[in-house]
Order: sequence, then structure tokens, then C-alpha cells
Amino acid sequence: MSEWFDIGENLLDGGVPPGAIEVKWDRYRSEMQLLAPANKRHYRIIVVGTGLAGASAAASLAELGYTVLNFCIQDSPRRAHSVAAQGGINAAKNYQNDGDSVWRLFLDTVRGGDYRSREANVYRLSELSSDIIDQCVAQGVPFAREYGGMLSNRSFGGAQVSRTFYARGQTGQQLLLGCYGALMRQVNAGRVRLFPRREMLDLVRVDGRARGILCRNLVTGEIERYAGEAVLLCTGGYSTVYFLSTNAVNCNATAIWRCYKKGAYFANPSFTQIHPTCVPQLGEVQSKLTLMSESLRNDGRVWVPSEPGDTRAPANISESERDYFLERLYPAFGNLVPRDIASRAAKKMCDEGRGVGPTGYAVYLDFSDAIEREGIDVIRERYNNLFPMYEEITGEDPYHTPMMIYPAPHYTMGGLWVDYNLMSTIPGLYVLGEANYSDHGANRLGASALMQGLADGYFIISYTMEHFLASNKREQVSTDHPAFAESEESIRREVARYLSHTSGKSVKQFHWELGRIMWDKVGMSRNAAGLREAIGEIRALRKEFHDHVHVPGTGEELNKNLEMAGRVADFFELGELMAIDALHRNESCGGHFREEYQTEEGEALRDDENFSYVAAYEYRGPDQKIVLHREPLKFRHAQPSHRSYK
Amino acid sequence: MSTFVAKAGSSLGKKFITGITGFGLFVFIVTHLGGNLLLLVGPDAFNAYAHYLHTAMHGWFLHMARAGLSAFFLFHVVSGLAVYRDKLRARPERYEKMADAGGTSRKTLSSRTMAFSGLVILVFLVLHVAHFRFGPGLEQGYVTEVNGVEMRDLYRLVVEEFNKPVVVYAYVFVMLLMGMHVRHGFWSMFQSLGLARPNTVPTLSGMGLVFGVVLAVGFMLVPLYILYFIPPPSEAALAPGVLP
Amino acid sequence: MTTGETMTLHLKVWRQRGPDQPGALTPYTVTGVSPDMSFLEMLDLLNEQLIERNELPVEFDSDCREGICGTCGLVIDGIAHGPKRACTTCELRMRNYRDGDTITVEPFRARGFPVLKDLVVDRGAFDRIISKGGYISVNTGSAPEANTIPVPKYKTEAAMDAAICIGCGACVAACPNASAALFVGAKVSQFALLPQGHAERKVRVVRMVEQMDTEGFGACSNHGECEAVCPKKISITYIARMRREYFKAALAGV
Repeated sequence: MSEWFDIGENLLDGGVPPGAIEVKWDRYRSEMQLLAPANKRHYRIIVVGTGLAGASAAASLAELGYTVLNFCIQDSPRRAHSVAAQGGINAAKNYQNDGDSVWRLFLDTVRGGDYRSREANVYRLSELSSDIIDQCVAQGVPFAREYGGMLSNRSFGGAQVSRTFYARGQTGQQLLLGCYGALMRQVNAGRVRLFPRREMLDLVRVDGRARGILCRNLVTGEIERYAGEAVLLCTGGYSTVYFLSTNAVNCNATAIWRCYKKGAYFANPSFTQIHPTCVPQLGEVQSKLTLMSESLRNDGRVWVPSEPGDTRAPANISESERDYFLERLYPAFGNLVPRDIASRAAKKMCDEGRGVGPTGYAVYLDFSDAIEREGIDVIRERYNNLFPMYEEITGEDPYHTPMMIYPAPHYTMGGLWVDYNLMSTIPGLYVLGEANYSDHGANRLGASALMQGLADGYFIISYTMEHFLASNKREQVSTDHPAFAESEESIRREVARYLSHTSGKSVKQFHWELGRIMWDKVGMSRNAAGLREAIGEIRALRKEFHDHVHVPGTGEELNKNLEMAGRVADFFELGELMAIDALHRNESCGGHFREEYQTEEGEALRDDENFSYVAAYEYRGPDQKIVLHREPLKFRHAQPSHRSYK
Repeated sequence: MSTFVAKAGSSLGKKFITGITGFGLFVFIVTHLGGNLLLLVGPDAFNAYAHYLHTAMHGWFLHMARAGLSAFFLFHVVSGLAVYRDKLRARPERYEKMADAGGTSRKTLSSRTMAFSGLVILVFLVLHVAHFRFGPGLEQGYVTEVNGVEMRDLYRLVVEEFNKPVVVYAYVFVMLLMGMHVRHGFWSMFQSLGLARPNTVPTLSGMGLVFGVVLAVGFMLVPLYILYFIPPPSEAALAPGVLP
Repeated sequence: MTTGETMTLHLKVWRQRGPDQPGALTPYTVTGVSPDMSFLEMLDLLNEQLIERNELPVEFDSDCREGICGTCGLVIDGIAHGPKRACTTCELRMRNYRDGDTITVEPFRARGFPVLKDLVVDRGAFDRIISKGGYISVNTGSAPEANTIPVPKYKTEAAMDAAICIGCGACVAACPNASAALFVGAKVSQFALLPQGHAERKVRVVRMVEQMDTEGFGACSNHGECEAVCPKKISITYIARMRREYFKAALAGV
């Protein structure tokens, strides 16, 4: 049917347990098989990643008695990129008495995801949201509070209630330090062995099951083998495929991609989130884009000049010559529309020639009204670190000149396909947090990534994994197994290949060029012609990369260019899959906007009849076509409707 | 978990000891300065004060004060040097280039030279005690009478000593270092004892500067005043064998 | 936002091939530096120019590049994280420099932070200190309802002022004594200020200080240089608070 993929005959089954959605999870987890407490220590669990999902999972499993091996590429688990989340974490506590409930959070999330997520998963997430807040407060996370000592909330994009808990503009940091503390407590107790500065380069399967991983020790260059009874991937998203993104420069898709190549299906790769409020790009050699928390849209008003080509300073543009386009287009939600909508609207304004700043690719985020209304001190307290951060980057004072913002790649809803148990298509391989595709459908609402990472790690994986382990016979696998040796050999070959050229373009240049293709053609809005071009260009660039990339140094030392080479090699393949997926999905939904499929007003046009499914791709070998498997999505509670924020 | 003694030897314990003994020494030098300033009042006032210290509580006061002070000095020096040793160990490879960050930093020439100024003061202290405490006394003819009581003429000894320019300038130099030591030491002891609060740090640091200057100037005042304004007693009165 | 002119800069960069190997400051010239670049982007540019000349690039750590992960950290012209206050190395912009400037770049130096390569150091000591008590011992699932214990706003704020530490190690790097007191003081204070942290308050401070000493950091002698270079402006009064906690624990016989 397609030149790029075959279609799988059988539909994928998410394994959602029976029963009413409100009691499904509770009943399911109560009926699961358990392991005797004393037995758990005989099970070695490999957890890759120490972000919110990884650290919370490693800590919780160790608390239960498992022996946990925990890996991260950073020098310390505390540096995982969850640390950079700014705005907050949602929970259906209804502390504000404004009509929130588990049900409303569930509906908001499904709708925010543009009806491309699995209902049962989202409901479970909403249900667990309150427990997360309890857990974090008990850990000493200093959430913002009111004078009376009670927890404070704020509103966030895509919601009409205030359900977001926050710790200034550093919520991710504080939540991560909470799990990091829990993790280090288990390290001290000897139940977690920590392996920092290790990069997972392959998954080992024995008899089909995930039984181990291979890592490169990033300091010594040694290839190390680790065996275990289950492998948990908590390795985050792949926005860095765009080179410029809000993600950390070491974020990568290598762990999930290598598992994909070992048989785990990759779901909805084209579902990427472009965050509306980032500091615009300043120069060609920029290494990353900095996010300005979405919470700024609570007080900031987004505008551009009414007339194209207006280059006057913002102060000289009178009120009547300004277009507060989000308030104009979406009166019900105004500046608080979901991220995909806000991003696209900003792009549209810039495409009309009404963008501002030196490049014309920026819009204003103006705080003057809020400052006048609430006073500069209130605004300063509320956004504490964000304004100085902006000033540091741009050299402009946002208290007096409107901020300039532009969308940037931020989060990937796509990831390895998982069932209700968070298990991939490889038995024993679990995928948690942003690395899986699960709960956010085609667009993630603000303040729900932290929620998902922690729900997966604290409250879901321990049950579902235990059930899996208890229902399978425990068999030790040694790292001397031929599967490990084979895998190590292929890694050594790969490393040697990268190091074989002494001239040519650097890894970074290739990455930058790939990023350009991805941003231009597989970015915020896509069309069939562009996507086809992208696939061709990526393939050509990939060939050039493998023939000519120049990586200096050796493999037996700390060598960051070598690390990046492997990641960029995977990005080429992933980028192509993203383009293929985007090309196949002939509809617009959430973060995936196909120019051919839009309403007359330029809004996304979903096609529920043909595309109400999760697209999961199977890799079958270097010379074989990939296979598209579909998991149909059924909506019994959140009735798909046109997603309107007007 | 560690014992109480081990805690006293921890990085925090050492600084506690340095701080608490530093406080004792601070109180001592403030009273010492008060005594010194009596020199400017006249021979009798000064000699009477010295005599009083020697005879108070049948001499026990001085014994106890000496024992206490010696202990304070000992602990202050030992813990201070231990901190300095730790500092040398904690950074085996030095920076090629080092600069001050400025801003809210309390790092000053004073704070960087605490071990040096402390050691100079220690050497000074030994000489100072040898000079005056164990220097010439009644047997050598340094005798005077105040209100009918015969006592050591310490005043004369002091005036003689401070008429030697070398002694005075050496003394002034040491007092400069002592002032610097107090400048950092004063605020630092509050911080080391855990008593500094966000709203008191600037005040304490400022007070350190004031005390440093006042003590240094106060102690310098006496020798300089003597050198320039009080002539030495007649050479004949000088006993043989006295240290220059 | 500035555009246009680029600068040529002279760097003296610490090069060291591996742990326990000799190192030296090596001169480099980097061209085409734009004032909008961050300091690390300038080093990226230098590395691209080195790779082009088939020389080994300078290794340095960085990750989020927005001042929150604490991965980056260089001593720039003798000051940890460089000349700007409240700013990490990755946030420092080249507009703070002039064309033709010479900049010395060294790794964080301390016995507790051994150099791994060039400007990359091992800060595992911080993790080991945290493992001794930088947490509240609460197992997953055993937490009470979040609003059960009210916490006064000023206490939460004070705890947050400490909790904001990114663990970069600049405090150690800048301290003349290479002391880790600010890092430990911040963590101890965060939990001492919150009611949730009270149960293990005394044990926590004693264990963490023990580990801090074991790692070979110096004793804090109150220079306050740590606060001045701290990218999050953490106050040295948290060191005083740690000391109060420690002395109380010592008196209580913990």
C-alpha cells in the first residue's frame, strides 16, 4: 500500500482490563500476582534514566526490595532533564473549589490530546495525580503556599480550572530532587547500584525477553554488560532530533531507538510538541532554545503589530495598532489556549509578515497590563527566575520591554508503544515517562509531563512489573550469554566506524543540517510534498554522515563527539520515521498539522473515521520494509468532538 | 554515628572551637586595651591596676585567668591551624589564575590571611609575655609605691621599652595584623557558632571592621604616644641585663 | 538583542588528557564569536575550529544550557561561572567580553572534584553526601494528604531559597578552603525548615557532615565567596543554620 511500510494485519491490543473506567485500575491492581517480599531481592531490575520516571521507579522498586541497577548519561542522577521543567504539575485536588475533579482532568487531557490517546490510561493518570502531590509534599518538595500554609495553585494552558501545583519556576527541579533524594536513600541502603556517565547502546534479548543492556562507560570508553529480569527505559523524549529545541544538549533517542531495532514498536513518532513560549533564535551557532514557562501566559498578553512590516519599537505601537491575536481568535481561552494552538497561531502571524524582532520570527509577550494591575513586585515574585533569565539571554529587560517569544520543539508525545502495563512489545521491556507514547495523544497539556513521569514511576510500574515477574519463571541470564557478546561486537564495530575518518564534517554540523530539514519540513506544519523531500534529504545526508563524519580522539577515553555520533546516527533514522509517519497520517491533530487538512479558518481538521488509531511501527531488519501496526482508539466517555477553544 | 569528641574534631566542630575561643580572646583583648589606656592616665593608675590584677582573690584571679587564657589560645591556635591544614589538603592543585568574585562575598585580605596574622600574633605573644610578664621586676629595681603599697613599676618598664623605635614599629605592625584578624574573626565567630541570621550578617561584618580598627588603633596609640611624647626615665635607673 | 559584529578571542584553556595525568594551560584563538553566544557556544565554536584542524576538541560538561541542571561549571578568569553574578557558565553571554580579550578557562579544582579530562570533573562526592541524608525518608505510598500539615509561607519560601541549589559545585570551586558547606548547608536547611523534615533532622545533619568531611572538602572559614558565585544566590546564613542544627544534634547526643 505504501512505498515506505507494510501494514500489519492484526490490530494491536493495548491490554486494557475490563470494568468501568472509574474502578478499572483499582480492581486490576488488586488482582495482580505478587512476589513474596523476601524474593524480590533476587530480581535484578535495570532502570535506564534518572529523570522523574526513572528515579521514581528505581526508588520505589528498591523500597519494595528489588535489586535495582540504575543508569544515567549525566554525571549525577539529579541532572536528568526533568530538572528543567518550569511551570508545574497538575493534580485533580480541587483545592480551589473551582469545579475540578478526576473526571474533568481526564476529559481535559483526552481533549487536549486531540483524541489520540488511550482513554483508560488517561483516566488512571488523572486518578493518580492526587497521590503524586501527597508523595512529593511528604518528600519535602517546597510547593508554593498561601499565607495560611495551604498549597497554592495556578491555571495553565488548556484548562479553565486552577489545578497546577508549582515551586516558583522550578517545579521540575524540585520534583526531581524529591525523587533523586528517594533514589539516593536506596543507594545508601545498598538496594540501588548507581551507574552515572553510562550510555545504553543496546538491548539484549534472550528467548525474546528483554534480559540486559550494554552500556558505554563515558569516562573510560569500556563497553559494559548488565543482565537483569526486566529493563525499564526512562530515557525521555527525542526533541533534539531538531537540533535546536528546549531539551538539554545530551537528550537523545538512542536507548529507545536501539530497542526499536530490537523489536519494540515505535508509536506516533510524528507527534511532537512545539512549545509556544521560547526565546527566539538569535544566531546560527546557537546550541539550544530556552523555554519561558507557559505560566507566563497567565499574565502576559501575546500580540503582533496589526500591519505587516511594522518595525517600530513596541512602545511606539499604539493600542489600536496591536493585534492581540490569541484573544481575538480564541475569546474563551484567550492567551491560555493549548500549546499547539498558540504555537501555530504565532507561526501564522509571522508567516503573514507581522512577526517582530531582528529575524521577523517572534511575537511579543507583554506584561505591562499585569504590572500595572498587580504591581511589579507581585509579578517579580510570581516569575522570580524567568525574567532575569530572559534578560541574561537577550540583553533586554522584560519588565519594561515586552518579551519576544517564538515556538520551539519541546516535547515528544510519540515514543515506544506500550500497553496498559507500560510494557513494550518486547516482554520484560517497560517504557516510562516521555520515552513511551501513552497518555498525551497528539498534544500534551501543560503541567502534565511531570504528572505522567511520576505516575508511571511511583504508582504504576511496581504493580504491573511485579505481575509480569510473578507470572513468569525466574531464570538467571549471565552476561556471558552469546547475545551479549554479539551485541558488544556490533557496538565495537560501530565505534570503530565513526573513528575511521580523519577529515570531513563534524558530528555537530550533520546534526545541525538534519535539524534544519526536520524543522523546515517535519516541524510545526507539514505537507506531503515537503515530507517526501525531507525523507530524500535525510537519506542523502545520512549516507554522507556514515561515509564522511569526522570524529576526533579515540574510543578509550571521554569523547563527547563520539557519544554524539551514535546519537546523531540514530536521529537520522528516527527523523525519517517521523517523516514517514507524518506523511501517512492524512489529517491534522494536536501537534501534527498537515497543511492539506485544515478548516477554512486554518484550524486542524481531524479525520476520526480513518485515523482514530495509534500508529506503531515495527522494524524488521536493514533491508526490510517497516510494518505499520494499528491500535484502534475507542472513546466511550470523552466523545470526540471538534476541539474548540473559541 | 560519631562521638561527641569526634564531632568536636569535624569541620564544623573545629570552627566552633575556633569561634568560641576567639570570642574569649576577643573579650580579653578588649579589657587588655582598657588596661593599656591607663598608661595614658599616668604611672600610678597603671601600676595600681597591674598590682590589683596580681593580688585580686589572693592572686587566684590571675592564676585562673592565665590558665583560661592559655587554654583558649592553645585551642584557638590548634583548631585554627587544623582548618588551615585542611584547606591545603582540600585543593592539592592550585588555580593558575584566581580572582575575587566581589558582590556579597566577605572574602578580604583579612580573611585570606587569618593563619598568617594569627601566627605572627602568636610569636608576638611569646615575646610580649617574656618581655613584660617575665621581664625585670622588683629584684631588678623596678619598684614603686602607690598609696603606700610597694609594687612592681611596670609603667617604667613599658615606657622604657616603647622609647625604642624598633620595638614600637614592630608592635604597630603586629597590631595592624591583629586588627585585621579581628576584622574577619569578629563576624566569623558568629557565623561559626551558627548565630548569624540573614538580617544580622551585614551588621556583624560591619562591626568586625569597626572593632578591628578600634582595637588596632587603640593598641597602637599607647606605644606611639610614649615614643613621641614621654621621654624615657634616666639611663642610670636601668638595671643591667634587660632585654632591649 | 544584538546582531552583526563578531569577535576574536584568545583563550588559555586547561588541557589534561585523563585523570592523574599532567595538565597545562594551552593557548587558543577562536574567531567569529558573536556577542549573543553563550560562553559554552563559544567553546563549541572553538571545538568546531579544532576539529577542522584535526586537533582534539576541549572536553567540558554541559547539558540543559539554561542554568538549571548544574552540569556545566568552569572557572573563568579565576571566578567560578565567570564574571556575572547569579549566572551559570552556560548562561554567561559573550557580550560581556570585548574583541581581543584573553580569557583563562580552568576546571573546578578541589580534592573532592578530581579532573577526569580537560575541564570535566567528577562531582560524585555530592551524590554521596546526599545519599547520607539529603532526603526525607518516606516510602512511596505512605504519604498523608498534602494539605494535612500547613506550612507557613515564609518557611516554604526560606526552604525554597535553599532547595533551589543546582549542585553545580561552584561553591566548592570558589572557596579558598574548597569547602562544601554551602551545598550541604542548603540541603540541611531545606529540610530543617519544613515540618516534614523534623523526624530525622538531627541524624541527617550529622551524617551529611560526616560524609562531607570524609570526601576531603575543607572546613568553611566564612569567606562567603561561595554565596557570591552561587548561580542561585544561596545565602551563607544557611551554613550558619546547618551549624546550629549540628551543634544541637551534638548536644542531644545524636
